[in-house]
Formats: sequence, structure tokens, C-alpha cells
Amino acid sequence: MKKLGLYLLLLPGLLFLTLFMVIPIAMTVLSTFFQEGSFTLEGYLHFLADPYFLKILWTTLQVSVVTTIACILLGFPAAYYISKLGPRKKGVLLALAIFPLLTSSVVRSFSWMIILGKKGLLNSSLLSLGLIEKPLEILYTPSAMMIGLIHLFLPLIIITLVGVMENIDPDLLKAAESLGASKFTAFRQVIVPLSVPGLIIGSILVFVGSLTAYTTPALLGGKQRVISTFLYQNAITLNDWHMASVIATIMIAITFIVIGLMNKLATKLNPKG
Amino acid sequence: MALLTLENVSVAYENQNILDNFSLNIEKGQLISLLGPSGCGKTTTLRLIAGFLEAKAGRFLFDGKDYTRVPVNKRNFGFVFQSYALFPHLSVFDNVAFGLRLRKVNQAEIDQRVRHILDVVSLNGFEKRFPKELSGGQRQRVAIARALVIQPDLLLFDEPLSNLDANLRVNMRVEIRRIQQELGITTVYVSHDQEECFSISDQVAIMNKGIIEQLDDPATIFKYPRTEFVARFIGFNNFIDFGERTEQDGEIHLTAGSHTFRAAKNPGTANHSGKKGAIRPDDLVVSAEEPADSVRNVLKGKVKVSTFLGRSYQYVVETDLGDFTVNQEMDSPYKAGQPVYLMFPKEKLVLVD
Repeated sequence: MKKLGLYLLLLPGLLFLTLFMVIPIAMTVLSTFFQEGSFTLEGYLHFLADPYFLKILWTTLQVSVVTTIACILLGFPAAYYISKLGPRKKGVLLALAIFPLLTSSVVRSFSWMIILGKKGLLNSSLLSLGLIEKPLEILYTPSAMMIGLIHLFLPLIIITLVGVMENIDPDLLKAAESLGASKFTAFRQVIVPLSVPGLIIGSILVFVGSLTAYTTPALLGGKQRVISTFLYQNAITLNDWHMASVIATIMIAITFIVIGLMNKLATKLNPKG
Repeated sequence: MALLTLENVSVAYENQNILDNFSLNIEKGQLISLLGPSGCGKTTTLRLIAGFLEAKAGRFLFDGKDYTRVPVNKRNFGFVFQSYALFPHLSVFDNVAFGLRLRKVNQAEIDQRVRHILDVVSLNGFEKRFPKELSGGQRQRVAIARALVIQPDLLLFDEPLSNLDANLRVNMRVEIRRIQQELGITTVYVSHDQEECFSISDQVAIMNKGIIEQLDDPATIFKYPRTEFVARFIGFNNFIDFGERTEQDGEIHLTAGSHTFRAAKNPGTANHSGKKGAIRPDDLVVSAEEPADSVRNVLKGKVKVSTFLGRSYQYVVETDLGDFTVNQEMDSPYKAGQPVYLMFPKEKLVLVD
């Protein structure tokens, strides 16, 4: 009886998720296999046969992968530094680090438009310094999307990594050094592998976030489509809800594949993590 | 010549001097313990030797070479941590092989040396386990094996047994001593547990507030503490402040109040200017009957508190020289308020600074 009482605590959340998440997603996925009452794979075949669609998918994956890698490279050293600080400084720096997450993505994207535009801050500075002769084309390219997404998602990887790194016993580094490792080797052979769990979770968050982000690529990408803006176009502009559902299902599938692959990687890198 | 010499070193932490003008010599092949209460500087000394800390003044000589600025990873010292600090992502084998791989030892030799050292610490067959699959004592052995396999010039232990339960602690300290003697490796051992240090060390340095109060072999420290701090630390609870000191008939005569006490000449009293006497509670005898006139070193008093210790009774006896603590085995204890006589043999009085 006591156990039943505990299960009851789960019920409200479970009910909410089932009603508003599981069932709608299941219906969306199911609907892609049926058209006018009969089973069909036509939506998927159509998608996979169209080079325009595939190019959008490819661009999206590229942007997501580059964003994830860039976030890891930028976030890892920062997270390590923060994890070494005393509680007060750590709090301040973490608050600063998550600041981008607290600002509206529209505001954030518009400020990047001001910086990256043809006559923006970046180009006018570089031009007046004489470093370039004509403005760089950054805004409305995949590069602009990546910059915007890195800015948005860097906090996620920093937070998850700091969480893992601050639990690494500092004596481990000393032990490695006493056994003959330089500071860099100790970092590479101890801190890096022990940070893998945080790295995996952070990477999944960044990758899936980049894959599904809408506002940032819509504003900074211009005519350049990614899969989420393409989905929106199909649903709202073209009113093709069947195709939109197919795209949504493909996004869900990619998400699961990536999580699966990352988990495999995690067990390989850190068997006992 | 000493293998290791700390020469007038000073170490500060957050602008506070932990060690000030500190010196220490360690002979080759010895196991020396640094013993003292927390904050006495023993761990700082160990970390300084390991290279985890830098001295702001002074020199550290090892085997005739100046090691003061040699970084940790170039010192070839084995360090065993209180937390063991095993790499959680590596198996027992890889943990032990860590130092050998960094030294670019070939695989065949790594295999052979890791297996041999696991033999020494009795951990054969555990190569594939991970640290979290081991008991505390086994982790401890891995940590020791990992430090030993690099054939270190010096072995350093930082409270290695404090995370183990009492029985295991006794077994492990015997094990550490056995391995240390078998390999003849010079060892510095830090602990706050006296029994542990006394039982395994060639030399014990009792430390207090950043200085060494006494550095001697364990038996000498135990019998003849040189300072009040050391005496208190190893269980001399009773102290007498003496006035005049004279030598007569090969004995030392000491006055305190209206009393005159005699002390034998021994390493604890001779050549010693100390005017404070120390006696262990076990070395005092308490009796309700007045002793014969021939008995020396008698103090009259009154039982203040009587407590039962299991094998013996402990009394606090009030005298005109202050309170004394006495342990004595007896069948029927004295009650509080009872007048008694305290006596001690002249050999048991030690003079301290």
C-alpha cells in the first residue's frame, strides 16, 4: 500500500507528459506512414529523393556538428578554470556564463545581425583597420548561424562540465604528476577522460539544441534553410502538414541516433564512468 | 651524509608561515615518521618534499643535488595519498602501469613489473578490476603498488591508513613496514596516530607549530621525551615544577615547595637543564597506608575523582603540588575524599624543557 502511495506521486507528471507529449508525438509519427487511409512511405521517399531537402538536412547536420565541436573546444578550458575556483568566484562566473541563456533569442540574434552585417561592427572595424578590402559575407550564411548557436549553447556545455569537473579529486592530478606526468599530460590523461560523462551530456544538449533551434537560424540564416525552418515553412507557409510531420519524425530519429551513438562513445572512452 | 636534507626552509600559506626556518635530515633506507596534531606542519613538510608546494626560502637537497626547484614529475618520488587517489577510469593494472607508460617502458617489461609489484602487495588476480570494485584495504595496496612500481628514490605516505577500520589499519601498517624493509626504500610517513608511527618507524619526528620538538628512535621518545609538549603528547600527564637542582651521590635532587624529590641519572635527566618533571599515570603508585620513612618521592594527597577504566582505576589525586593522575590495578577502589599517598620510583621521573 505504501508503494502505491508513492506511485501516485508520479501520476500527475506522467499524465501530463502522456497527454501532451507522448500521444501527440506518437500521432505525428504514425500519421507520416498513412495517407488517405492507407500505409505509405511516400513522404520519406519524396524527402530522400529530393536533393534540395537533402542539402538542407546536410547543412543542418554540419551546423550542429560544428557548433557542438566549437562549444566543446571553447567550453572545456573555461569549465576547468571555473571548476578550480572558490565558491564565490565560481558562482559569479557561472552566472555570467549562463547569461546568454537568459536573454531572448530574438534580441540576441538581432545584436548578432548588427555585429555581423555587411556594414556591421565587425566589417567596419576590419575595413578601417585595413585588414580586409571588401566586407566579409558572414550574415545570412551557415557561419552566422553557427556563431549565434555557439553563443546560445556554450553555457550548456560549461554548466554540465563544471558539474563533473568539480567532483574530480584534485589529488588525482597530483598523483599523476608524482608518477611522472607533466601538468599537460596529467590533464589529458586524467581530467579529460573523467570529464567524458559531462562532455557527452553537454554535447547531446548542444547538438540536439542546434538541430532543433528555430529563431537563431531563422534570423541569422536569411534564405539559408535548416531543417527546423524548413519544417516551419512546410507547415505554415505551404500548409503541407504531412511533409512537416515527416520532417519532424526525421528530426526525432536523428536525435535518438545521436544519443545512442554518444552513449556508445561514452562507454568506450570511460568504461567505468 | 644524509640522503635528504631540508635546509632552513620556510613555507607560507595565505600569508601565514606554516614552516619557518625548518631543517630536517633523513638517512638512506630509513622509515621516518612525522607525527603531531593537525596544523603542526607535518603534511606541509611532506608536500614540500614531494614538490606539491614550493618553499619561499631555504633549500631542499636530495642525494647531494639541489632539488628545490625540481618539478614534481621529475623527482621520481612515490606518493601514497590519504584518499589513495586511484584513477577511477583505469583498471588496477592500468593504474599501476601509469608511471611506467609515462617512462616509455616497453610493454613486456610493464607486464612483468606490474605483475611483480602486485605480487609484493598480494593483489595478484585483481588486474582487471576497477578501483570502485575494491575494498578500502585493496585500494590502499594498489596505491602503494602504483607508487612502488616506478622504483622511486623516496616513498612518501600521507596518512595512508586513516580511512581504514581499526583491524585493517594494524595489518596494513605491518605490511607497509614489511615492504619498506624488503625493498630498503627510504620512506617519510605522516600520521597523527602515535601507535602507528611508533610501531613502524626507525625515527619519529614529533612536530608542533611548524617545528620539530624531538627527533629520535621510537623507544627513546617513549621513555625520554625532551619537551613538555612531547611528554604530554605521548601520555605523561603529571608535571612538577622544580625549584632547586643539585646532584648528590649520583642522583639528582630537586625541590618543589617543601618537598625534595630524587631522580635517577639517565638520558632523560642527565645533561638536561629542564626544571620540569614529568611522570606517566602508570608510573605513580597510590596507597592509603603511610609508607615507611625509607621510601623516597612521596606526596600526600586526597582522592578527588575515581573512574573505572576496565583493567584499572584512574584517580585524580589532589596534593599541595597540584592534581596528579594515577592509573592503578586494584580490587576495591578508593573513594573520593579518601586521604592517600602517591609514590614514584626515581627512575620514572623525566625532566623536560
